[in-house]
Amino acid sequence: MIYEGKQKIWRDYQKEIPDDHWYYVRSCIRQNFFPASERKFTDITQQVLGKDVYETPYHTTCGGIAYHCDAIPQETVMTIVARQFALMTEAGYENYVPSCVTSFGNYVEILETWHEFPELETRIREQLWKACRREFKKPKYLAHTSDLIYHWRNEIAEKARVRLIDKETGEPVRMSEHIGCHYAKMFPSKGIGGAEYPYVLAGMIESWGGQVVDYPERRHCCGYGFRQYHMKANRGYCVSNTHKKFESMEPYGIQAILTNCPGCCYFMDRWQYVIAEQTGKTYGKDGFGIPVFTYEELAGLVLGYDPWDLGLQLHQVAVEPFLDRIGVEYDPKAKYLGLNREDILRPELPTNLKCF
Amino acid sequence: MKENVVVIGGGVAGMEAARELLLLGYNPIVVEQQDHLGGHVAQWNRLFPDISSAGDLVRTLGDGITDANIFLETKVTFVNRLQNGYLVMLSNGVNIACRAILVATGFKLFDASRKEEYGYGVYDHVVTNADLESWFNGNDSDRFPAAPKSIGFVHCVGSRDLKAGNSQCSKVCCITAVKQAIEMKERFPDARVFCFYMDLRLFGKKYEDFYIRAQQEFGIQFIRGRVSEVGETLEGRLQVKAEDTLSGKPLKVQLDLLVLMAGMSCNPEVAELARMARLDMDSDGFLRSRDNLGGINESNRPGIFYAGACTGAKTVPETLAEARSAALAIHRYMQGR
Amino acid sequence: MDHLFEELEKDYRFKEGYHTCINCGTCTAVCPAAEFYRYDPRKIVTIVQTRDDAQIEALLKSDTIWYCGECMSCVTRCPRKNGPGMVIMALRDLSIRLGFFTESEKGRQMLPLTRTFARNILEYGYCVYPETFDWNDHKESGPVWKWHMDHLDKSLARQGANYQGEGPGVLRKIPQESLDELQAIFDVTGATRRIEQVEEFSRQKAEQMGLSMEEYAKTAFEYSSDKHFNE
Repeated sequence: MIYEGKQKIWRDYQKEIPDDHWYYVRSCIRQNFFPASERKFTDITQQVLGKDVYETPYHTTCGGIAYHCDAIPQETVMTIVARQFALMTEAGYENYVPSCVTSFGNYVEILETWHEFPELETRIREQLWKACRREFKKPKYLAHTSDLIYHWRNEIAEKARVRLIDKETGEPVRMSEHIGCHYAKMFPSKGIGGAEYPYVLAGMIESWGGQVVDYPERRHCCGYGFRQYHMKANRGYCVSNTHKKFESMEPYGIQAILTNCPGCCYFMDRWQYVIAEQTGKTYGKDGFGIPVFTYEELAGLVLGYDPWDLGLQLHQVAVEPFLDRIGVEYDPKAKYLGLNREDILRPELPTNLKCF
Repeated sequence: MKENVVVIGGGVAGMEAARELLLLGYNPIVVEQQDHLGGHVAQWNRLFPDISSAGDLVRTLGDGITDANIFLETKVTFVNRLQNGYLVMLSNGVNIACRAILVATGFKLFDASRKEEYGYGVYDHVVTNADLESWFNGNDSDRFPAAPKSIGFVHCVGSRDLKAGNSQCSKVCCITAVKQAIEMKERFPDARVFCFYMDLRLFGKKYEDFYIRAQQEFGIQFIRGRVSEVGETLEGRLQVKAEDTLSGKPLKVQLDLLVLMAGMSCNPEVAELARMARLDMDSDGFLRSRDNLGGINESNRPGIFYAGACTGAKTVPETLAEARSAALAIHRYMQGR
Repeated sequence: MDHLFEELEKDYRFKEGYHTCINCGTCTAVCPAAEFYRYDPRKIVTIVQTRDDAQIEALLKSDTIWYCGECMSCVTRCPRKNGPGMVIMALRDLSIRLGFFTESEKGRQMLPLTRTFARNILEYGYCVYPETFDWNDHKESGPVWKWHMDHLDKSLARQGANYQGEGPGVLRKIPQESLDELQAIFDVTGATRRIEQVEEFSRQKAEQMGLSMEEYAKTAFEYSSDKHFNE
C-alpha cells in the first residue's frame, strides 16, 4: 500500500465546511441504537468546542429509510425534506448537518435531482405549500455530522486526554474505518476523500494517534440493505455481507472499527454476535469481538468522557479490552447502572461471544 | 531555397512526415518538447503485430530525417497568421515563417490513477501497459514481483468510459493486452494470466491470430467483464472483482500483478495551440479533422494539417500512413493544387 | 409495445439512473445482493433496455427486482453513468402502482413494510421507534438490547435521551402539529394513496391465497423459500 497515493487522492476531494452555525437534524436509527452518540454530538460541539449547533423539536424523520424500503413515493420524501429545509430557513440558518448517512445521501441526491430537473423542485415547493404552508431556501452548505467532527478533529486532538495508542506497546492502535454507502458512493465529490479512499474517518483516527488499516473488502456494504434487514425473511443477506467483511479483515489484527453510518455501526456489532452464537467464530482476541464505534464515541473516549456516558454498554461486542488497551479509566461495576447508579439489572451474557 | 514546413511533435507521426517532406523537397522543422524523438513509441519495447522492436522503428525513422532541422526540448509559444502563411514562435527564441504547419502532437496516455477503484499509485503491484513496456526495456521496479504466479490485464482503463470523460475506444489496448499477456506468459510460463475485457476489438491484420495463439498456445484466460474494484491483501496481492458476464456470476480472483491498459486520451496541451491557431476541437478533446473520411489530414485552417493521434486513437501503421498522406497533402497545398 | 418503458421514463430515478448499458458487469461485480441471491443487476438493465412490455412485466412480477439493497455501490462504478439501483427503484415503484408486487414472495413484503413505516412516521415522526420495535422479531439485537428494551425509560435516561419529552433532544416527542404536517404531506404527495393501494392489492392477493391479512403479512415478513439463493 502506497500511503502517498492515497494522500494524493485525498487532496482531490476536499469540501468546504463552515466553522460554525449549523442547523442539526437527528437520525432515526441513531436515536434508537446510539442515543448517547447523538447526545454527545451536541455536548461536544456546543460545550467543548463552543459551536452554535441548533436543533428544533419540530423536525422529523427525513423518510429516507421508508423511501429506500420503497414504502413511500419519491415526491413524499422530497416534500418531507423540503419541510426540513423550511424549518432551517425559518430558524435563520443556511448550514445543514444531518446525523444520518442515509439522510445525508438523501439530501444530496434530492438537491442534485432538483438541480438537474428544476421543474421537479418547483413541483415540490408547490406541494409543500399546499400541505404545510411553508417555503424554504436550500442549504448553502450540507455536511454530515462526521464531516464536522473531521473538520474539528485537530481541536479535539488538542484537548485529548486519551490517545489511540496501545498503552503497553506504545504503538498506535490498529483501526479500520467503514463508511456508509450513501456517504459518497453516489456522489464521490460530496465526501471528504471521495468514494474509494474516503478520508473523513481515517483523518480522525490519524489525528487522534491511531493507525488506519485497509483491507480488501473495506468498501463493501455492511449489508443493511434496508428491506433486506427490515424483513426477517431477508436477513441472511445482511449477515452474509457483514461476514464477508469480517473474514476479509480477519488477518489484519484490527483492534477497533470506526463507522460514520448508523446502520453500519449497529450491524457490524450485532452480526458479530450472531456469527459467534451460530458458528462459534469470533474476530477479536480471546473470544471477544472487534468493537465498532461511532465517531462521537471515539471522540468522546479521546476527550476523556466516561465510556458509560458514551453509551458503550449498549454495544453487544465488549468494548473493555479496547478501553484497557488505550488506557481509558472506567468503573466496570457501573456499566449497566441507571441514572444516579440505580440498579436496573443487567443483560444476560451471550454464549460464545465473550462479554462483560 | 527549400520552403519551411513546421512539424509540431517529434513522435513517429512527425518523424515519418518529416522524412516524406524532405523527399518532396521541403525543409521540415521538427519541434519536440521532450529531449528525444519517437514520442510514446520510443518508450515502448516491442510492437504488434510482428513483435518488432520499437527502438528499431524509431531509429529507422530518425535515420531518415538527419537532414531535417530538429529542435528538442522546445515548445511552440505562439502562432501568428501572416498574409500568406504563419509565423511560428518557439520557446528557444527561433521564429519561423512558413506556409504550412503539420500538427503531430499525438495523445496523452490516460492517467490510470484517475480510475481510483483500480488503485494505481495506491497498491504496490498495480502497473500500466506503459510501465510494463518500460520494465521489458530493462527498467526494473519493485512494482513487479519477482515470480508472479498470477497476472491480470484490465482492458479499457480510461477508454469507453463516460465517467473518465473518454467515450472513445483507444483501439490499441486489446491487441496490446494480448501481446503483453503472451510476453508475460513467455517469461513466466507457470503463471495464470487473465484478460478482463468488455469487447475484444481485434480488427487489424494478424490480431485475431494473436488471440487464437494466446488461447491455444498460452492458455490465457479471457474473461468478459469489466473490472469493478481492486483491493490489496495483507500479502500485497490484488483482489480483483469483476463479473464473468458470459456465465452471469460475480467473480473474485487474487493476483500478484495487475496491468492496467491505460488508453489514449487527448493531449490537453493541444488546447492552447488550438486557441492560438484557431483550430476546431472535437467533443472528445482531440483536434477535429475537416471530415473523418477523405479529410482526416486537414484542419479548418488553410495550411494547417494533421497526422497521427492528435485527431484520435491510432495504431502505429495507421499513424505512419497518415503521416505520409499528410506530407502529400501539404505538397499539394504548396503546389496550389 | 413499450408502454411500460414509457411509464419508467417518467420516473426521475429512471431519468438519472438509466442511460444505455454496455453490459460490462461492473455493477454486478460489487453488488452485495449478487453473491447472495440469484441476482444480476446487469441483466435487469438489459431487460429494461429491450423496451419490451412482456419482458418488463415479467420482471415487475418477479422476485428479482426486490433483491437489491439500494446501497448504490453500482452507481460509483458504471462507466456509462447508469445507476442500476436507481432503475430498480423505478421498477419497484411501477410494480407497486400496477399491483404486480403481490405476484412475488419478496414483492408481497410491501405490505408489512408499508404498514411499519406508515405507522412509525405518521404516529411518531420516526422511521424506527422503540414502541414498535419487538425484540422477538429482532433477536439479532442481542441480550443487551433485550435488557435495554426491558428497562427502556431508565436505560434511555442513562443515555441522556429525552424520550417522549418536550423540546429538542434524542427520541423527543415530536409535536402533534409536526405529525399533522407529515400526514398532510402524505395526503398531498401520494403516500396515503400508496398505502391504500398496497393494502387493497394485498387484500385481493391474500383472498386468492386463502390467507387472512394478518397471516399474509406475517408470512411475507418472515417466510423465505430456498429458491432465492445462490449456491
